[in-house]
Amino acid sequence: MGLYFLKRVALSILIVMLAVTLLFCMIHMVPGDPARILLGPRATPELIASLSAQMGLDQSLPIQIVKFFGNILRGDLGMDVITNRPVAATVFGQLPYTLWLIFTAIIFAMLIGIPLGCYSALHRNTLIDRITGVISVACITAPSFVVALYSLLIFAVTLHWFPAVGAGDKGDFWDQVSHLVLPAFAIGLSWVGYLSRLVRASMLEVMSENHIRTARAYGLSENTVVYRYALKLAVLPTVTVIGVGMGFLLSAALFTEIVFARPGIGKLIFDSITTRNYPVVMGSVLVSTILFVVSTTLSDLINAWLDPRIRASL
Amino acid sequence: MKVRPTVQTGVNQKRRQILKATGAIGVAATTGAFSEVIYAQGKKILKIRAYGDLRSLDPAFSQGVIDEEIQSCIYSKLIQYKPGREWGYDLDAAESIEQVDATHIKFKLKAGIMFTGGHGEMTAEDVKYSFERIINKDLESTNAPDWGTLREVIVDSKYEGTIVFDDAYPPAWNIAMPYIVGNIISKNAWQAAGGKVDTTTPSVSGPYTHKEWQPKQKTILARNPDWHGGDAPFDEIHIFPIDDENTAQIAFESGDIDCTRVSLGSVGNLKASPPENSTLEEYPSLFYVWVGMNVENEKMADINLRKAVQHCIDVPSIMQASYFGAASPSTGIIAPGLIGNRAKSNVPPEMNIAKAKEYLAAAGMSDGVSLTLDVLNKAANVTTAQVIQATCAEAGITLEVNLHESGAFWSLGDSSAGERYKDIQLILNRYSMAPDPSYATAWFVTSQKGIWNWERYSDPEFDRLEAAAKAETDNSKRDEMYQTMQSMMEDSGAYRFLTHEATPVIFRNTIKPAFRPDGLPLIRGFTSA
Amino acid sequence: MMDALHRISRDPLGLLGLILVVLIIASALLAGLIAPYDPIKLNIIDRLQGPSVDHLLGTDQLGRDLFSRVLYGGQVALKVAFISIAAALGIGVFLGMLAGFGPKWLDNIIMLFFDTIRSFPTVMFALATVALVGPSLGTVIAVIIVTSIPTYGRVVRTQTLTIKSNEFVMAERAMGVSTTRILRVHILPNVIGPLIILASMDIPTVIALEAGLSFLGMGVKPPTPSWGSILNDGYTLIRNTPWPIIAGSIPLVLITLGFTFLGESLRDLIDPKLRKNV
Repeated sequence: MGLYFLKRVALSILIVMLAVTLLFCMIHMVPGDPARILLGPRATPELIASLSAQMGLDQSLPIQIVKFFGNILRGDLGMDVITNRPVAATVFGQLPYTLWLIFTAIIFAMLIGIPLGCYSALHRNTLIDRITGVISVACITAPSFVVALYSLLIFAVTLHWFPAVGAGDKGDFWDQVSHLVLPAFAIGLSWVGYLSRLVRASMLEVMSENHIRTARAYGLSENTVVYRYALKLAVLPTVTVIGVGMGFLLSAALFTEIVFARPGIGKLIFDSITTRNYPVVMGSVLVSTILFVVSTTLSDLINAWLDPRIRASL
Repeated sequence: MKVRPTVQTGVNQKRRQILKATGAIGVAATTGAFSEVIYAQGKKILKIRAYGDLRSLDPAFSQGVIDEEIQSCIYSKLIQYKPGREWGYDLDAAESIEQVDATHIKFKLKAGIMFTGGHGEMTAEDVKYSFERIINKDLESTNAPDWGTLREVIVDSKYEGTIVFDDAYPPAWNIAMPYIVGNIISKNAWQAAGGKVDTTTPSVSGPYTHKEWQPKQKTILARNPDWHGGDAPFDEIHIFPIDDENTAQIAFESGDIDCTRVSLGSVGNLKASPPENSTLEEYPSLFYVWVGMNVENEKMADINLRKAVQHCIDVPSIMQASYFGAASPSTGIIAPGLIGNRAKSNVPPEMNIAKAKEYLAAAGMSDGVSLTLDVLNKAANVTTAQVIQATCAEAGITLEVNLHESGAFWSLGDSSAGERYKDIQLILNRYSMAPDPSYATAWFVTSQKGIWNWERYSDPEFDRLEAAAKAETDNSKRDEMYQTMQSMMEDSGAYRFLTHEATPVIFRNTIKPAFRPDGLPLIRGFTSA
Repeated sequence: MMDALHRISRDPLGLLGLILVVLIIASALLAGLIAPYDPIKLNIIDRLQGPSVDHLLGTDQLGRDLFSRVLYGGQVALKVAFISIAAALGIGVFLGMLAGFGPKWLDNIIMLFFDTIRSFPTVMFALATVALVGPSLGTVIAVIIVTSIPTYGRVVRTQTLTIKSNEFVMAERAMGVSTTRILRVHILPNVIGPLIILASMDIPTVIALEAGLSFLGMGVKPPTPSWGSILNDGYTLIRNTPWPIIAGSIPLVLITLGFTFLGESLRDLIDPKLRKNV
């Protein structure tokens, strides 16, 4: 177990480094000079050269990459040359908004999706199972930005139930919560459907497995079988999927943050890619890749720890 | 900071809290949400949208309108743009100001203008420092060109000074003194801060102070109790960066902001059914949109082909499809209301397929030709491109539309960034400008080839006129010169002028806004109704 | 095959899925015959109309018939989905078998490659790529291929590893049967079933990704109609008319429902053990 853990962590670090290097190369092949875009139409060639040098763009690509990783080891993500603030300050200023959004969306999806899936599995092939099936799939299929647009129009503009844009006043907890509802709903909805399908499928599978049958044969009540044994196993794949889903949720968050003009890491990445703000692109990509890799690794480890079948094979 | 607790605000505050609470548990509560929208937490707050986020609070490094909207609230200038439908100025820090001859402007400051942070009273020294640092090469200010031929500022007395130019520079009155580079900062404070500042400021002198910047969220300004102009009308101003106009309109309709520009597509609906308790106003805009043709491209080098394309583009259709009839065709790059605006263009706005075919025949391309059109991926541009694509097809010109995101688009014509500039054939472009004609023509001279002159248009006579017009002090001569220059551009076939767009703005009736003639908000002039 | 069809037809949701899929594929293939209008023909006078007898789903900002655009848009969606998934399958199968059957070091490298690709949020990867080569149908397809390879590759690798240690295969190897033949005869047929099911359930994701990229203005080139670009127009026109969004989202939701039901039904029939999270 300990060795497995170490191997996974080492692998994760390697993956993050590779991913960031790959993106670094890609971004630098992209046409578009950041200095020019950042400085606007009135920039003189001397100014552009000076800003390029500040961003380190006048050096060769391998040197830039080595320097970048060197700085990271010292905890320095570089300077955002436009606002003259450390990139770390910009990125970590935006990160909590996205984390709260994703976290709320997942909780919302789990609270609705898991019971729905259980119910469907236990009432397999009834009318209600079919209806929840169709609704779940419809939820999965609705693109998050369409859900975002419609929830914005219906709940913010027409009904005035919730505020439309931004993330709320700092320090006003309820204001922030009310700003979180619609975006979290928009990215959580497809996960409601997804989780309910997943839990249904794995529940069915678990229920047909030997030890559950044995438990039944021992005369344990149906409720005990379902809630004490089956549910625990059936929710396992959910953990993995949520881990893997971080990537999808980060993507969905990007759309949602644009539609709701909400601060966050997704919007930061989008803005910094389109303005070729390289230091911020690299910093925010690094942080979100780490976030993603950590969550997949964690979910694998949790899974290994929870599932006796996997634990035995380690 | 002065807070004005009144019985009314107390009630309002409670009501808003209740609204919030009921909203959070999902109970519909729709009535009466907006009448007291400018009050929150017992403070009088103006909430307004900007289309981008703050970049710098230093006038030397501010990026156009977005930073200026904030800076103009916290710094003073000698003169400010006058709100209204016609361009003009009001005195601000200056008690008097006059152009004494072509190259000298004399001013006298009001006494008793205080800088915050204990940096003392504003003197002519501060004006000298503020203006001269912009043109100081060591500072590398991106805004240096706005000062044109500025040589120096001479301090005549504590409050009096003279601005001296090398050559006559009439645009100083339109785009320098009342705009970005006209902001006066405290010499004392700036020197203490090391000569430049970023997203915080050590000292201000305007109606508001900079309280807080929450990146990607909002900028908060608070009333400056020491302002020389009296009591600023709002306790706080919250400026929200929202780039998309649809989103901004939704934010307005749901009560999150009190004033915003809206998209041209919404004007019809907003007129037909205006949101409760709000006003829509339409202003012209200074933007200019055109289709450029690269005269050095192998195919486009033929002037007959360029003229054929000019006649293939149906501007009225574009006005309908892309601008929902809320904008009108333009005659050039200088908008109505400015010196140099033309009454008519040489090529009529309507397409003329027969004429286009004649030109194609003259170019020896009667059998048809395929061209590319490069476009920035914004909705109106994409629609415009498709209209052009459709009408060009009628004359036998096949257009391939290439979409680019902003990063890639803005470097297309840059000759220092590879060879892509050579492949431009047709390009749909849109530049913003400040209210002086010299700002528009400056990009199309020979020396701008490969920088912002992507058509690679070059005419020595145009270059000569451009230099002369900038220094011409007789407005009627100036007017004529700029008209001639636009005519030359059009006759070269390299340009098909489309529109200046328009600026529809919507605001809550609880506030009394102040706009420039082109619809940009002058936030410091906003008051509550 | 007929047997599978027969069994699907007894599962109502599977049948519904099959019908939806067939319907949409047919309408896309026959768009040229069914569509009442040219999908790119402008008619600015009749712009932004609601649904009517003349225009079943109304018209867009250029007066183009939305119903016709939706039909032709199906061609783009299917093209993107089939080309990219087929290519990703092909490459994924190849790399997966290579990883499963080849030497350990090669396996490690390939798995590292898979994990690296998967560690990007898809949209971020797409943004960088589109910025690099410019938006077009080809770019969208390329992005989807690259990001889908790891999923298939991992499935194939796992299956290959299992079968490799199968006694029968071991015996064949001992008898000197070539690796290519073992792969072709024993492994390929075993992995292809689950893969097809996975792929059919991935089609909706792929189509939604295309829509998402178009929403950011990074999808197909105009005037090509795609459901994504119709949605993009709809987003711009959201304050004027709801119809482009409805027109763009209906087929998107229908085809997703179709493929998902069909895929699930196939899975239940053929391989109940297969789970999505491989």
